[in-house]
Amino acid sequence: MDAEDVLRGITSRVGEVTAIRTVQETRPLEEFSDAYVAEVNVKTASKVIKALDSAFPRDASQPMNHLRRFAKHNQVPEHLRPVLLREGSSPAQTIFVLISPPLPGTEAIQKVLAPFAPDNAATEDAPLPLHTIRIPLQPPMTTVQADAWSKTMWPVVFNPAAPRAMVAPPPHILGRARELIQPKAGRYLALAQRVAEEAEQSGLGRGVGAVVVDPGLEAEVDETEETEGDIRWADAVVAVAGDGRYSRREVGMTEADVQPGRGPNPNIQTYNPDREGGPELHALMRVVELISSKRREDGPVSSTGRPCLNYLETYFMSQSNVTATSESLDDPSPVPEKYQKTETAAHAIHQEPETGDASTSRIRPRSQGGYLCTDLDVYLTHEPCICCCMGLLLSRFRAVIFPRRGRMVSGGLASEPVVQPDGAPAEASEEEAKPREYYGLHWRKELNWRALGFEFVEEEQPDAKLAVDGVAFHA
Amino acid sequence: MSHNVPSESLQGSPRHAFFMEQALLMGEKALETGETPVGCVLVHNNKIVGSGMNDTNKSMNGTRHAEFIAIEEMLQNYPRSILRTTDLYVTVEPCVMCASALRQYQIRAVYYGCGNDRFGGTGSILSLHSDPSIDPSHPTYGGLYHKEAIILLRRFYIQENDKAPKPRPKKHRELKMDFDKELLTYPAT
Repeated sequence: MDAEDVLRGITSRVGEVTAIRTVQETRPLEEFSDAYVAEVNVKTASKVIKALDSAFPRDASQPMNHLRRFAKHNQVPEHLRPVLLREGSSPAQTIFVLISPPLPGTEAIQKVLAPFAPDNAATEDAPLPLHTIRIPLQPPMTTVQADAWSKTMWPVVFNPAAPRAMVAPPPHILGRARELIQPKAGRYLALAQRVAEEAEQSGLGRGVGAVVVDPGLEAEVDETEETEGDIRWADAVVAVAGDGRYSRREVGMTEADVQPGRGPNPNIQTYNPDREGGPELHALMRVVELISSKRREDGPVSSTGRPCLNYLETYFMSQSNVTATSESLDDPSPVPEKYQKTETAAHAIHQEPETGDASTSRIRPRSQGGYLCTDLDVYLTHEPCICCCMGLLLSRFRAVIFPRRGRMVSGGLASEPVVQPDGAPAEASEEEAKPREYYGLHWRKELNWRALGFEFVEEEQPDAKLAVDGVAFHA
Repeated sequence: MSHNVPSESLQGSPRHAFFMEQALLMGEKALETGETPVGCVLVHNNKIVGSGMNDTNKSMNGTRHAEFIAIEEMLQNYPRSILRTTDLYVTVEPCVMCASALRQYQIRAVYYGCGNDRFGGTGSILSLHSDPSIDPSHPTYGGLYHKEAIILLRRFYIQENDKAPKPRPKKHRELKMDFDKELLTYPAT
């Protein structure tokens, strides 16, 4: 079959692209600790801060900017009032200062604060009293949480930007990416599905597929007058790969073991680890290696011995053959100048190589500044296994998109069970019958690299199969 | 199941010490060729059946970590199933990617040098060797020759990375030899 015929036959899938929440958003970390409160002369407040900060340096790794340094009398939480508000002290004369962790010894604090004690509060025999309270160590995630903590613990400030900085992608970046991905995702996912079918039918792998798109090229594709059978949309696809876990000939295997013939491999019916190849043969890892081979400018044979396995993979690889000048001649409709880079956002993502080389390669080689899989998006038919999730982060993909129907018990991207639009958990679905971990690996503040993660939620299709109801394996 | 065994007790075993020394030699080789200095060996019946070092720069593939290279080498001569009776010695705690791969490959045990607080998948950030999974769990032992592993990484990171899109000048950096702060920062293995 001809790859371009396949592309012409692709029907876009219909659905909504929705951001995968991060594990920190799903299960916010709530940690509490002790802190001290002392009453000081309100007129000396700024000196108190200077004295405390110079005597007890703050821990930079644990910023406490969400906690107010001072509470006025009327800001003291209800349950602390009987303890803190002395008879004879007035809001005009005193204010309460917070000493947050790391906590120094009480005597050291009392010594530093002594000059600022309110009149008649401390004497030679009885030093300035320190009261122990509980405070939240992490900034609040919502205004509701901030209000609750302010009422029950200590006044806190809610800053919508601060808590999200590491815990979740910045909302404007996430929103902008979602907008750009939404109109095209259905088509790329339909192509990924076609690649998956090819992988399964070849007997060389399971029915899992990957499609990699360059959002920079996408902005250059002119779709204003798209006609039926038009395949210009595929110009933004830089590589596709199917699963190839049965393609490696291991020691002791016969040719028949490797490829029992055209048609699905019998091993797909079960999970037999000895027959699963390895994660480097999964669709994601294979597509990463295909892109790398173009960056390296390998010859026809990849230096790692992981070549194309079918005509769809070969077709997209050939689009990046720098030496094949014929393809630029074959191109009947080069993108008109006026449509090039009209998307302003694309400028930030896609930068033309400065070499001035007029190469038409979709995958820029190393010599033209191509680097790993930076700024590329990957569309997958299934939720990738944990190994592939980290592989896509290490490859520096910008975003990963998979259909919710493709969730796997062994997957590493989802951060929670399926939640209905109204916020309620889905009715006892099959998914809950098979317990799994929810790693949300696309965006973990603990990891050095992060990507935007999206699920593609299709309209309700009663007869549609969920991947999670099939054989459990690593996609 | 992650055991942080005092390095002396593991190092006291000539067998463990020998294989980790071989892994360190692979790391040394990586450093010489401009790769992140992480090395490993696979040991089956007291014999090294595969060895690897990071290859992400040369291959332009961020997933070409030492563990994958070693497994690939092993598979040239042995079937995948022998990994169930094979141990891995690696200079740095396997990253999340490699930890998951090792579990899928059903490695018998993992011995590593220093921890990896940016990417570690067997105790530092995730515990993929022992979390619930469709594959059996395996034990991991950290701390074997960890100082040597750290020094290797430090020697790499004081170099300037001319492959980075924006190389950072590091002229004034010195190789630190102290271990006050045991946790290091390094990339994945």
